[in-house]
Amino acid sequence: MDDKFSTTSQIELTRRSLLGYVGAAAGAAALAGVMPKAASAATPAVKAYGVPTSALKDWTPMEKSIGITCELSGANNDVGVFMRDIMASDIGKEMDIFTFESGTQNILGPKGFYARLDEKHPELTLWQRTSDDWKRSPLAVDPDGNQWGVPMIGNADSFGYFPAAVGVPAGSTEELSWSLVFDDEKTHGRVAYGKVYAYSMGTAALYLQSKGATFGNLADLTPAEAKTVADFLIERKKAGQFRTLYDAFEEQIQLLTNKEVDVINCWEPAVREANNTLGPNTVFYAYTKEGYNKWGIAAYISAQAIARGNGDNIYKVLNYFLGGEYHALQARDRGYGGPNLDLAVEYAEKSGWSADEVAALKATEEKVRKKFTKPYVSFTTPKNASAMEEEWQRFLNA
Amino acid sequence: MTTQTNLAEAGAGDSFLKGISRTLSRTDIAFVVILVAWIFIVVLPLVILFAFSFFTTEYYETVYKPTLDTWIGLFSSGRFEVAFRTLRLALTVTLIEFALGYPFALWLAKARMRSATRAIYLAMLTIPFFLDTSSRTIIWRAILGQAGLINTILMHTGLVAHPVEWLLYSEFSVHFGLIVALYPTMVLPAYLAISLIDDTLLEASKDLGATPRQTLTRVVLPLSLPGVLAGIVFTMGSALAAWVEPGMLGGGFVNLLSNSIESAYTALRYPVVAALSAFVILLLLVLLALMYPLMRMLGFSSLTLKS
Repeated sequence: MDDKFSTTSQIELTRRSLLGYVGAAAGAAALAGVMPKAASAATPAVKAYGVPTSALKDWTPMEKSIGITCELSGANNDVGVFMRDIMASDIGKEMDIFTFESGTQNILGPKGFYARLDEKHPELTLWQRTSDDWKRSPLAVDPDGNQWGVPMIGNADSFGYFPAAVGVPAGSTEELSWSLVFDDEKTHGRVAYGKVYAYSMGTAALYLQSKGATFGNLADLTPAEAKTVADFLIERKKAGQFRTLYDAFEEQIQLLTNKEVDVINCWEPAVREANNTLGPNTVFYAYTKEGYNKWGIAAYISAQAIARGNGDNIYKVLNYFLGGEYHALQARDRGYGGPNLDLAVEYAEKSGWSADEVAALKATEEKVRKKFTKPYVSFTTPKNASAMEEEWQRFLNA
Repeated sequence: MTTQTNLAEAGAGDSFLKGISRTLSRTDIAFVVILVAWIFIVVLPLVILFAFSFFTTEYYETVYKPTLDTWIGLFSSGRFEVAFRTLRLALTVTLIEFALGYPFALWLAKARMRSATRAIYLAMLTIPFFLDTSSRTIIWRAILGQAGLINTILMHTGLVAHPVEWLLYSEFSVHFGLIVALYPTMVLPAYLAISLIDDTLLEASKDLGATPRQTLTRVVLPLSLPGVLAGIVFTMGSALAAWVEPGMLGGGFVNLLSNSIESAYTALRYPVVAALSAFVILLLLVLLALMYPLMRMLGFSSLTLKS
């Protein structure tokens, strides 16, 4: 969620193109026998473009496990920038896979930018055991049932809070209400709320739904529904409920570590980072009564990638994303869940992780399972995006 | 017959070429080149921008069917307010910058000091240009926040009982951030223009009985006007396009043009981006039309387009 990314992406592309030319020249030289050692020592790579949190903090374990590395160029969470890079900049010429939140496959799949997933590919050995809850979810298929993606990670986002400020004991697993974010006297003027409509509008609608309002799809609000949500948020904004409307992940961490706010709708890793600074169990991530902003990231194959002859490596990496090692590391490092978490526990136990680490992994699995029983699933490409964005601007301008 | 026709055609061709040659010789070729380049580089994109504002977006795709819907939406949603807010903020920042920057530039250019000292001051002004804007701006959040340095001092000294909230996430903090960031863009052009004023002119003004104030308003200010105008253009242009300061210090409560455009971009709403940009350009043209006669009335004759 920081600008501007577009510039970075273009620079990155330019750099990549340059490296590509250099690589091609080096390859030619290798064929001529100038540098045969370097050529034979290269690890096969799959090039990815997508959300950085979908990447392992270090790809070395994957390299050791399947003999392939991944070169990920980070995209931000801005779906507009992401889709522009694929549609207008034709980044698929360079990239093998894309990793992004659910929704883009509905547009980029039928338009021919994503390749349809070959579910019977021999390298996709874990596909059959992956539950339909993940692989047939709106994360990976389009409304017509076409399979475009492989689910990677997911979580159910709520809000971080300081227990003393909201009046609950530290470490409580009590389900809290989103009213702490929107209209509670205890938190009045001490709330940070996300400034991106795709992230924050749905949870406001979720709260209003618990108060009796009716919505067809919380992730895809009609113009009238979006107006209802914007009117409510404008009223709360004018009442002084929000201390600030934040933009970026780094801001989430800073707002918590500076104690500028008591409550913030944020990503779970922000709470972890804040606790790294403030000390363990200072900030907590809420279980909520009404529901969560449930999201997931999937990996999609670039339409041009298969023609480049890298298909087997791509499917090996996709299969790795369904496996225990990837999910154990993602759960440990970021607190994220995903498909086949039982394999993650199995991997941790076999790999000699400590009892505490295994217990934490099981707790993550249980946490995700518990949260996913509640509504609602967010979506990056709602049909009513224009109307929602318009109403969100009304809120920001109020 | 054919030969005669060919000769006639050749003659017509010659006269045509001679005509062009005469025309070009009469015209300032540089002017023509600049005009053509300006049309292609500036005017044409603006025309396309304006045309785009009459399309709409449906499900992340531009619908190329002329309609006023985007413009109507701009006003019905109140989005047009960001244009006025941005313009107001940019003007205020520019005026404050001028009030703070011009005296400093005058002092830096004409005060008696060693050249090494002057070089140090200039370096202090230019160093911020080499630092990332985000890194410079984010520091202010730790200083201006409720638990920040200033509020801590105010609370400990007993000057306030509760943290001062408007120090951060307000129009004040955005103004402050922009003034700090854009100070060099106002000072440096003004400083260069004032430096070029010959000291003998100032001496002559004094010898002729002018007070310091008269020398400032009748000699220094008019002669440094090109630098001042450059400073105003650089400062106001940067303030109009500001994205980092309002984003980091406004806390979402100071929604400016660039933030609004960025938001529209997330839904690939290019027509909204075009309409908003076109609206700001129209506002700037109106502002220019109002300012030009006003400046001439105030006696800034160097602004005239006549030679």
